[in-house]
Amino acid sequence: MISRIKTIALHTYKESVREKVLYNLVAFALLLIGAAVLFGSISLGISQMFLVNLGLSSISVFGLLMAIFIGIGLVSKEIERRTIYNILSKPVARFEFIIGKYLGLLLTLTINTAIMTVGFYAALFYIQRHLVLADWVPLQCIYFLLLEFAIVVGVALFFSCLSTPILSATFAFCVYVIGNFLSDIRGFGQESGSATLQKVTIVVSYLLPNFSNFETISRTAHGLPSPPYLVTANTCYALLYVTILVSASVLIFETREFR
Amino acid sequence: MKPESSSLQSGQVARRLCALLILGAFAALWPLQRAINREREKLPPTAENLYFTSGHLLRRLSLGYNGLLADLYWTRAVQYYGRRRLAHAAHYPLLGNLLRIATDLDPHLLIAYRFGEIFLAEKSPEGAGEPEAALQLVRRGIVANPSYWRLWEDLGFIYYWDLKDYPMAARAFETGSERPGAYIWMKAMAAAVAARGGELSTSRLLWTEIYQTAQGKDVRASAVAHLIALDAAQQLSQLNQLVERYRQATGHWPRSFEDMITAGYLTSVPKDPTGVPYVLTPQGKVTLGPHSKVELSLLP
Repeated sequence: MISRIKTIALHTYKESVREKVLYNLVAFALLLIGAAVLFGSISLGISQMFLVNLGLSSISVFGLLMAIFIGIGLVSKEIERRTIYNILSKPVARFEFIIGKYLGLLLTLTINTAIMTVGFYAALFYIQRHLVLADWVPLQCIYFLLLEFAIVVGVALFFSCLSTPILSATFAFCVYVIGNFLSDIRGFGQESGSATLQKVTIVVSYLLPNFSNFETISRTAHGLPSPPYLVTANTCYALLYVTILVSASVLIFETREFR
Repeated sequence: MKPESSSLQSGQVARRLCALLILGAFAALWPLQRAINREREKLPPTAENLYFTSGHLLRRLSLGYNGLLADLYWTRAVQYYGRRRLAHAAHYPLLGNLLRIATDLDPHLLIAYRFGEIFLAEKSPEGAGEPEAALQLVRRGIVANPSYWRLWEDLGFIYYWDLKDYPMAARAFETGSERPGAYIWMKAMAAAVAARGGELSTSRLLWTEIYQTAQGKDVRASAVAHLIALDAAQQLSQLNQLVERYRQATGHWPRSFEDMITAGYLTSVPKDPTGVPYVLTPQGKVTLGPHSKVELSLLP
């Protein structure tokens, strides 16, 4: 089973590479180096902080875009191209296919993020001419970003099993945006004065993925690491949420009929 | 000619034509854009606007990228200030808002508070000439960064230089001096500013504390010198009041301290804290002796 999942995952990764998604790395490198040089000359006292903010935000934006736009095609594209029939006619279980697809995209994102991290540190070294122990704080934030990508890939995969690519992208993007406003939604319920609305907003805020858990870019730019408890808690949160999303995707895919 | 080779040739021609068109279009774009730029420069300038005035709203909409947005707004504030200063503009209407948005987006962006208050407090045309706005900015910074003593220093300077409110300046320096990591000279600043504001007793209290808590010999020596100067200043003030009372009673200035001793105003020739006798001038003014080691110049 594991070897079959591994094969599908590697195939998904190779397909992403063939589709030239890693070209975003060139844009990332140019953006970072260009901005680092530019902001050193037009701003005041924030060249290093800006680089950290921009570098981590870029890793986040590029990763999220890839997670959503590749994720939504993971299943639906196979159905559209009718390659799904070939795959499923082989001794591959449907859940193996889904897990393999999920891990393949996660692998792509991890490799992409790792290369961007190297580029980020190269730019940081270019600005500072040295690296000290405190400069490794962004690694923790990058880890949180990876956890966030893991959930977003899960969301995209879930919708990919359910709907068309365009609708899946819209839904996945909406879930991401709402997932950033969950504390506000909860606050809105509390301020409304309605007990029912309060309960509904609380349920919604716990039901949807809370992406603000992983928001540490601004803190990181100030050199402030997150406490170890948060690292553990966020890891568990992401693992649980990914389990839910992948399981739900498997459930939908298992019941789906292909004609 | 075979049909295949003819289609090959026409394909090549099409490709060459496309390449030429691309190059030609790019070549034409360059002067066209320059002409557009020249024409746009002739248009009357429009007022600069802020499309978002609430930093808190922007923070909500930033989806977690508030740090990057704060950097951009701070850079925009720097650029705005620099541009208007170079143009010798008398007003900086957007500066306060830009700084507020930057610090709402990232309340720990210390540089925006520290330099922003200078931009705001400086008198026009070097700055916005809005010390009250600078005060507000620094106060918000203190609320967001309560342990950062430098903001208290900035607050003290706004009160001292721009608002001439010496008691408040002294209080700001003193409060800042109690924050972790604050330099000892914050206490010295508080003491000096309190003296300037006429609060000699506060100044003495602070210099005594500096003397008792200072680690370095130089700082302690400076505290002693200040305390001596404060004592001498107080004694000189009292002696000059006695001389004035003598003049009012007798109708003339005393010729020496002996005259005052005889009249019962003094019991002996007064000496400064370093043991050197004071001098009474023919104009009835008491001053330090020529060999006195008291440094009155230390006092503001």
